[in-house]
Amino acid sequence: MSIVLYRVDDRLIHGQVIVGWGQPFHVGFIVLVDDAVRASDWEQDLYRMGVPPHIEVSFASIAEAAQRLPEWEADPRPGILLAGSIDTLAALSANSHRVKRINLGGIHHQPGRSQRLRYVYLSDSEAVKLKELAGQGIEITAQDVPTARPVPLEEFA
Amino acid sequence: MTRARRPPLGRSLLRLFTVQGSWNYERLQGIGVGVAEEPLLRDLRAGENGAAYRAAVARGAHFFNAHPYLCGLAVGAAARAEHEGATPEQVERLRSALCGPLGSLGDRLVWAGWLPVTSALALIGVALGLGLDAVIGFLVVYNVGHVGLRWWALWAGWTHGVRVAVALHQPLLQRAAAWSGPAMALAVGMALPLSAGYLGGAFTGWAREVLAVATAAGCALLWWGRGRLTGLRYGLALLAVAALVGWLWR
Repeated sequence: MSIVLYRVDDRLIHGQVIVGWGQPFHVGFIVLVDDAVRASDWEQDLYRMGVPPHIEVSFASIAEAAQRLPEWEADPRPGILLAGSIDTLAALSANSHRVKRINLGGIHHQPGRSQRLRYVYLSDSEAVKLKELAGQGIEITAQDVPTARPVPLEEFA
Repeated sequence: MTRARRPPLGRSLLRLFTVQGSWNYERLQGIGVGVAEEPLLRDLRAGENGAAYRAAVARGAHFFNAHPYLCGLAVGAAARAEHEGATPEQVERLRSALCGPLGSLGDRLVWAGWLPVTSALALIGVALGLGLDAVIGFLVVYNVGHVGLRWWALWAGWTHGVRVAVALHQPLLQRAAAWSGPAMALAVGMALPLSAGYLGGAFTGWAREVLAVATAAGCALLWWGRGRLTGLRYGLALLAVAALVGWLWR
């Protein structure tokens, strides 16, 4: 079944991911790609607490994720790959060349970012990076929950 | 490292009641959480013209989102981490990592547990003839649990700081989360037929049949129209139809 969602969400694991996407896709595993979380036991402990027991959670650095992506894609269970930033998913894409679709599920306010959608704030450099990824043939849409309309990149960046 | 001898947890708790008041799409609960954390950061004002205090208050107001009753855990933990000299990045990461678990745990404990259970018990009480006593009992019991949970969260966060996962692993909390769903199903399952009998008691003959059909249609529509139709909207629509029919028929 492989990975059904490559998602950028700075909240990482939370209700929209577990319930909003996890339930309709019957997700069996979640991969959280983040170098800092991969190196932090207490953060992993906290993120595991938000996930029901029937969903397996893996934590990976960008390098590990690039290496293990074929294994996750061959997994018979549907899975979600989560990254906290556009940079992380862009790096993973550059290292693996296997990412075909990116879902922007929540990129919130930080200094230097401006509002593009209700739940998407981007800096100019992030917008440029997304356009570069789209230029490589990756389909990029913003969609916080499955019942919402997927908004194509050209409508907000 | 700075540590308040008597942290003003009471003042912080009072401010936590307003945490949803400044909700916005830019920072979600961030401003409210920052306001609630501020009393716990006042010890940091000494030295460097209060630069550490101002920076910590600003960090406290960054983007945050969790269950409102459990926000205090993040407030207490972040404030304690600031006092213990955690780096700004560590504090930010602690706040981010707490959003998901606190949202998920709060939803299971409160929205899918404590609130429907106590509401259902109140409905059962009313249906059995306790009247206003059942309503007052609900308000007292629900809010004792609600305020108690807010207080525990703030205290646990302040006590454990960045090691706050220890508090979330407490067996009592885990058992409460596991039992909240079945308890809710049991209480609501008992309340529904009793409430239906109580509310339908004033109707007789064909009016009772119309009520039964409207209820069945409502259940079906709510099932098929999930995400678009809510019980409140359906109830208001029925009231409007009933008022129109009554006006035409008088």
